[in-house]
Amino acid sequence: MRPRKLLRIARWEVTKNAGGVDRQTVVIALVALALFTLVVPFVMSGETGLDEGLYRVSVDEDSQFSAVVESESAFAVRDGDVKAVESGDVELYIEPGLITFANTTKGVAAYEQLQSSVDRYNNRELRQEVNQTAAFPVSVVLDYREQGGLGESLRIADSEDEESESSAETGDDSDGGETERSGESGATDGTDGDSSGESDGSPTLDSDGSGSNGGGIGGFGASFNEESVSGSPSDIDPPFPFQSLVLAFLVVIPLNFLIQAYGSTILSERTNRRGELLLVSPVSRFDIIGGKTLPYFLGGMVLESVIVAGLFLAIHGRPGGFISILAVTPLVLLFLSATFLGAMFARSFKELTFVTVTITVTLTSYAFVPAIFTDVGAVALISPLTLLVRELQTETIAISEFVFSTTPPLLCSGVFFGLGAGLYREEDMFDQRSLRGRVLDALVGPIPATGGTGWITGRLDSILPVNITPLRRYIAVGGLTVGLIPFVFVVQLLAIALLFALGEISIILILIVVAVVEELAKSLHIYAGYTHGLFASGRRTALFLGVASGVGFFIAEKVALLAQLVGLPELAVADAGLQGGIIPGPAGLTALLFLFAPLLLHVVTAAISAVGARRGKREYTLAVGLAMLVHLGYNLTVVSTLV
Amino acid sequence: MISADDLRKEYGDFVAVEGSSFTVDDGDVFGIVGPNGAGKTTTLKMLAGLLDPTSGTAQVAGYDTAETEMRNDLGFLPEESPLYEEMTALSYLSFFADLYDVPGAVAEERIHETLDKLDLEHRERQIGDMSKGMKRKVAITRSLVNDPDVLIYDEPASGLDPLTTNYIIEFTEQLAKEGKTIVFSAHNLFHVESICDRVAIMADGEIIARGDLAELQDAHGETTYHVYTTVEVSDSVRENGQYRRIVESMDAVDETRTLAEEAGGDVIDIRTEESSLEEVFLNVAESRSHSEG
Repeated sequence: MRPRKLLRIARWEVTKNAGGVDRQTVVIALVALALFTLVVPFVMSGETGLDEGLYRVSVDEDSQFSAVVESESAFAVRDGDVKAVESGDVELYIEPGLITFANTTKGVAAYEQLQSSVDRYNNRELRQEVNQTAAFPVSVVLDYREQGGLGESLRIADSEDEESESSAETGDDSDGGETERSGESGATDGTDGDSSGESDGSPTLDSDGSGSNGGGIGGFGASFNEESVSGSPSDIDPPFPFQSLVLAFLVVIPLNFLIQAYGSTILSERTNRRGELLLVSPVSRFDIIGGKTLPYFLGGMVLESVIVAGLFLAIHGRPGGFISILAVTPLVLLFLSATFLGAMFARSFKELTFVTVTITVTLTSYAFVPAIFTDVGAVALISPLTLLVRELQTETIAISEFVFSTTPPLLCSGVFFGLGAGLYREEDMFDQRSLRGRVLDALVGPIPATGGTGWITGRLDSILPVNITPLRRYIAVGGLTVGLIPFVFVVQLLAIALLFALGEISIILILIVVAVVEELAKSLHIYAGYTHGLFASGRRTALFLGVASGVGFFIAEKVALLAQLVGLPELAVADAGLQGGIIPGPAGLTALLFLFAPLLLHVVTAAISAVGARRGKREYTLAVGLAMLVHLGYNLTVVSTLV
Repeated sequence: MISADDLRKEYGDFVAVEGSSFTVDDGDVFGIVGPNGAGKTTTLKMLAGLLDPTSGTAQVAGYDTAETEMRNDLGFLPEESPLYEEMTALSYLSFFADLYDVPGAVAEERIHETLDKLDLEHRERQIGDMSKGMKRKVAITRSLVNDPDVLIYDEPASGLDPLTTNYIIEFTEQLAKEGKTIVFSAHNLFHVESICDRVAIMADGEIIARGDLAELQDAHGETTYHVYTTVEVSDSVRENGQYRRIVESMDAVDETRTLAEEAGGDVIDIRTEESSLEEVFLNVAESRSHSEG
């Protein structure tokens, strides 16, 4: 790779369309910008604003609810008396000692809105009391703990359980029975009760008691503000970092626009053979790919950096987010690499649209869904976006957590770029083969052709003291299996993130995903090799290929032990999905089984698939199906031992 | 300068080129002719390093075709003109000159000089707004921005009007006179005949005949003799007060002379006519189909 030429191509990529940006692109960009500028203040305010002026209220100035109504944006104050309720001009009429609401759905909703508004108003008033102990006489320390496994709900720390429960009960009791409603045009007299109920029953929450995960203390606004900790029990929200998540989602949105432009430029090189002349110029395909990708990567990173920095500035009033920017980098690369590979597979812009939509949905799920569980369990660390959410919540992030979150997408993007680069050559770029054909072409790229030394073995030959050329195809197959591991890992992590909340059935579903993905990763390139006539058709060759692939997978699978660094295997499903089965027992037996049982499994199943692959498509399908069943049976045995 | 040794290219079960071997000396113009699907383009793309041969080797300008450095000495013109239509001609050509490490001032001078020779105006116009002939001229200029010693042109005048075709063929001849080594393919055998020193005829992926034109004519062509007499002889045609008899051997010429003398006349003139490349090509193709049949 030559940096000067790569940069020249990058500069060309940026300038070749100068002045040629169509209106549609400009409109999309402006809409995205408007969306961003609208969403941030909206989320930051923590208020929906959608119900502004929703309920029409007539309130007597002498009523103590006058200030409440004035402070609530959902209410629009109107002139009138009780007749206005009857005539439908207002939903609520409030006079000292009497509240009248319309006997309609909206009228009831207006009355309920008033109740919650009174709660909030009272809390605000109490928080302004000089003597906070008097205002909030009960102090509760909440300690949210990570979910330890399936079905285990969040727990309040043992030492605080009773206190917490008692305070909640107190609050409930005092809240109850405060109001009465009559039927048609009913009246309620419970104004004093509400306020006294709040002051009597509200616990005082300690900001330090947010637990190690720190999230979800007292509503949206509290996510970033440890001082807003006093309130009623109803203010205690489950640890769901809504605000952080929505803001984190803003990080993902621009990537979806970015890949549209990037996919187009890659595919346009392939339409009408436009890219042919670059291929015949004195630059390598890696210069071209790097040069065409660099502007989009840098553009994406600049955009993400601005967003992240802006979020930190808006939320914390100071610059920050360095870790978040680092964490988002693999995501940017993953989006670009998947789009690059997809654009190399697509035969037309119509197909590219399908590809980019698939990428958008899949990768947004991968980034976003695990992050929802940021304050729930380690499963959230599957997504690098979780690191951003946690940094926004001013939580510390361990290096192991950072590595766990960012390594799989980073390696996966390398796999995608590698497979796509394998197709970036004259004979693959411009043909109209089917998607299946192109996938097989991509997979077969690293396997040396007849007479060729091969990329992997060629380098190994120059390092090792022995000539390994005769084994080149087996080494290439094993190496390719190793190379596909990040992709397998990411798919499995995504499956865990999507399925783990389904309860016991999720274990079975994830084990099925594991068996399917792993067996395909071990055998698809062998089948591709057979379709391209790279292997002798004998059974012995097939068995050796299976052994090579199985051993390669076994070695690479142990990278999954990385998961243990952050405790993801505490989830039973993660354990089953990622470890390949660690059977508890005596140390020697465990070591033996840890090493040999998965090795045997992978070798046997890969060999089954390889033997089928040598005979053709139908036989391969049957064989790989059988291999999946064997794999699933093994996994079920292991999990039934574990769980 | 260029050598191909037993080149073979397979696409799955299909063999596009098989056992293709030839050499092209410095400054020679080598033409490859053949019907559609004969393997001409595949051969040229293997020479240009765009396609990896399934087996066999090729060298261009002293480099293996797999070496990126080879491309610095090569100008390749594909059959179509796949240009970046959103760019202007000048920015497009400058970009490629930069990729070839041609200094800016040199590139600018070279680009304008070539475009002058090709009589291309509107150089600041976007390529997408140009006619097909203009685009072809831009593509030819691109193949020359690095002042290469070797040019590989695939159907340089394909799909162009006769005037532009003639212009480009003449320009190619001019390049040959400047000492460029040129390999090119064409359907129009008249063009090949007019500028090529040596020719290879391809069919079904194989080179079925090769050599200079004289060799090909000797091997696969026919020489006809037009014998002009003052009197009518058998099979003769009256033409401008003379009689012309076309025969295919010197014995037949002698026979004509005898017949004319017997009729009280004489032979006025004897003209020799060689087969055109097109006739040679048809003969080769016909004899191949007979041998296969």
